[in-house]
Amino acid sequence: MRFRLLAALALGLGLSVGLAQTRTLVIAQGTDPTSLDAPLATDSPSATVVNHVVETLFNYTPEGKIEPLLVERYSFSSDRKVLTLTLRKGIKFHDGTELNAEAVKFNLERLVSQELASSFAFLLRGRVSAIETPDPLTVRLRMPEPFAPVLAHLTHSSTGIQSPAAIRRLGAGYRDNPVGTGPYKFDRWQKGQFVELVRNDDYWGKKPAIERLRFLAVPEATTRMALVETGQAHVAVRVPPQDVQRLSARPEIDVVTTPSVRTIFLYFNQTKKPFDDVRVRKAINHAINKEEIVRFVLGGFGRASDAPISPGIFGYTKIGSYDYNPDLARQLLAQAGFNAQNPLRFTLSSPNGRYLQDIRVAEAIQSQLRAVGVQAQIQTLEWGAYLAASNQPRERNEFQVAMLGWGTVTGDADYGLFGLFHSSQHAPNGFNRGFYANPRLDRILEQARVATNPQARQQLYRSAMQIIYNDAPWVFLHAEQQVTAIRREVQGFVVHPTERLIASGASFRTSAER
Amino acid sequence: MTTYIARRLLTVIPTLLGVLLAVFLMVRLAPGDPAQLLAGEFATPETLADIRQRFGLDQPWHVQLALYAANVARGDLGQSVRTRKPVSYELSQYFPNTLRLTLGAMLVALLIGIPAGILAALRPGTIFDLLAMLGALIGVSMPVFWFGLMAILIFSVQLGWFPVAGTGTLWHLVLPAITLGTGTAAILARMTRSAMLEVLSQDYIRTARAKGLAGRVVVFKHALRNALIPVVTITGLQFGGLLEGAVITETVFAWPGIGQLLVGSILARDYPVVQGAVLLIAVAFILINLVVDLLYGAIDPRIRYD
Repeated sequence: MRFRLLAALALGLGLSVGLAQTRTLVIAQGTDPTSLDAPLATDSPSATVVNHVVETLFNYTPEGKIEPLLVERYSFSSDRKVLTLTLRKGIKFHDGTELNAEAVKFNLERLVSQELASSFAFLLRGRVSAIETPDPLTVRLRMPEPFAPVLAHLTHSSTGIQSPAAIRRLGAGYRDNPVGTGPYKFDRWQKGQFVELVRNDDYWGKKPAIERLRFLAVPEATTRMALVETGQAHVAVRVPPQDVQRLSARPEIDVVTTPSVRTIFLYFNQTKKPFDDVRVRKAINHAINKEEIVRFVLGGFGRASDAPISPGIFGYTKIGSYDYNPDLARQLLAQAGFNAQNPLRFTLSSPNGRYLQDIRVAEAIQSQLRAVGVQAQIQTLEWGAYLAASNQPRERNEFQVAMLGWGTVTGDADYGLFGLFHSSQHAPNGFNRGFYANPRLDRILEQARVATNPQARQQLYRSAMQIIYNDAPWVFLHAEQQVTAIRREVQGFVVHPTERLIASGASFRTSAER
Repeated sequence: MTTYIARRLLTVIPTLLGVLLAVFLMVRLAPGDPAQLLAGEFATPETLADIRQRFGLDQPWHVQLALYAANVARGDLGQSVRTRKPVSYELSQYFPNTLRLTLGAMLVALLIGIPAGILAALRPGTIFDLLAMLGALIGVSMPVFWFGLMAILIFSVQLGWFPVAGTGTLWHLVLPAITLGTGTAAILARMTRSAMLEVLSQDYIRTARAKGLAGRVVVFKHALRNALIPVVTITGLQFGGLLEGAVITETVFAWPGIGQLLVGSILARDYPVVQGAVLLIAVAFILINLVVDLLYGAIDPRIRYD
């Protein structure tokens, strides 16, 4: 209502010059942020808000590139164990204090501190052993061993550089009052309703066109869509598949799909027979029709995987996928000793309600497997219990084949491959929950961590993913897609593959442009 | 009267202790590790250990319970695992909104339910009675969730009369209050009708009419007052039902109330907030029942408290 009035007023006043736009851009998210303190902002709605206020040393672009942001230039030492960062000069936090090397040191040390208990402490813990500040604009990160992905880790929103003065001054109150260097400043937070940000007119970079951003918390999808339809919001996240057609048909709304860095897969527990047999793993890969699942179960809002990680992640190359071939699946199963008299039976574990249509995907897989004579029984557990069960050590791990999703949020293949496939990462120490091991792959993944030449790393990841493909420790299913409704009067709004929304470059079109 | 209230308030203590214990056990018997849920699917063991230690989740249950009870006695409801703020702060941010919504809904229910019940009882068997009771049947059977979404689609999206969601003005309250209050209105209408019908057939009503009192006086002074006892009881009980229905209504209308807080906290295994919110709702429920008990005396002077 109020927005309409404002809009009418703005038009009535003939706001034709596109310079300072006083309208508020309203974005309907699924939930209220939990915390606006960067290392504690672990969910996408929180990270989205924080990213407009707090900036990181490096930026991970929507195209999958890593670029310096608060850093002007950087270099690795010849033994690759020291990363030297030179900060941009003259940047100030919103409270007027200066961004300097001490501030960077303070923030990075705070992220890994035990007292803060951030779930993203792992990004730097054990990777950076000392942080030195030889002069106000230089930061030196000493690493116990070379770790090339460190740049990618420094793009993650939890490594954002916030004002040490504000953190000290506000104490626990800081989480409601973030102070960074970003294009927007924090204004107010009405708990459970909205967070409002206001343009930082002293921003060091390109100043945003829109003066205010308001992030609404609207859990019910139908309500979010109604907000966009009535113009009470300009952007709404997670359009339900059944609403896509109706919304797209409206001339004033664009429905935008963006790939997500989250990959959905089934993993085989290789300590359980017969999943130690690569023929069985390949047979199941050939028996599942991923395209059909994407089309009919996800309503087209997914992308069948052609590698263990998704496009947009550094190190991604298309490897290929096991084509749907039930005959070949039957042959492979027969070679492994399974047939109509002795069918393969196993329990397929699936979460219910965690990922897009997860249990429906499991049911589709069940029926596709039945066609090749495999009897899968679906087991679902409440999410917390499910995670705990999948994270048991090998002697107590009961899962045979299970569905999980993995978001490579750092944008670097290391995070998507090392933790999931390296043999040192078997549960519960790491995320390799199928107990897969291949010494050749281990070596390549280790080399890729050390190599600092991007081309060389890209090449290493290609070979690594080829090995993974051949060993088939997973059924590579699909990557989720984010479906967002955006009103046409807004341009330049970005939906990032890491499930963050970026409004800094957005503006309202004038009526002539529409 | 004062001793009665004091006695009633004393009996509240064991009830609250029971609620405390029940909630404490319930959230802990549910499967799933809160540290794991908080840290995400792929948290490292060190992160999990940090979080457990930070929130005392590494202590045995009985130690956690004893600590919790002692803290509650001191008025400290603990700290939210998700937002890391005091639970009492979280509740203070959300509860007033729920109270507003519930009171709005109750107002809707009383304004529609009681007049409809009275009118239906005064003209039993007529087309009005039939329509009122049919309406009540539909009202009570309609799922709150569906009703709320329909209200948004018709009155906000199609007609543009009300805002879709959120709070702020009285306009924001209209659709949620109607959505939440309709079911209660239906129950109150049926209850008022049957209570009124029973009273209207009593001898003293016939006497009142015989001595020539105006119809209005007979209905409101003689009949309604006596029919009110069961209606007041139901109204009190319905308050509890409204708090429950508020969870759904709040979700549909993005209304920042305790229901939304509760659902989010249950999904995230935010034990301290779940415990605090349930405790608060229990206290509200107990107080409402106390008020209802006291109202009986005001309505029917024969009821004494000694």
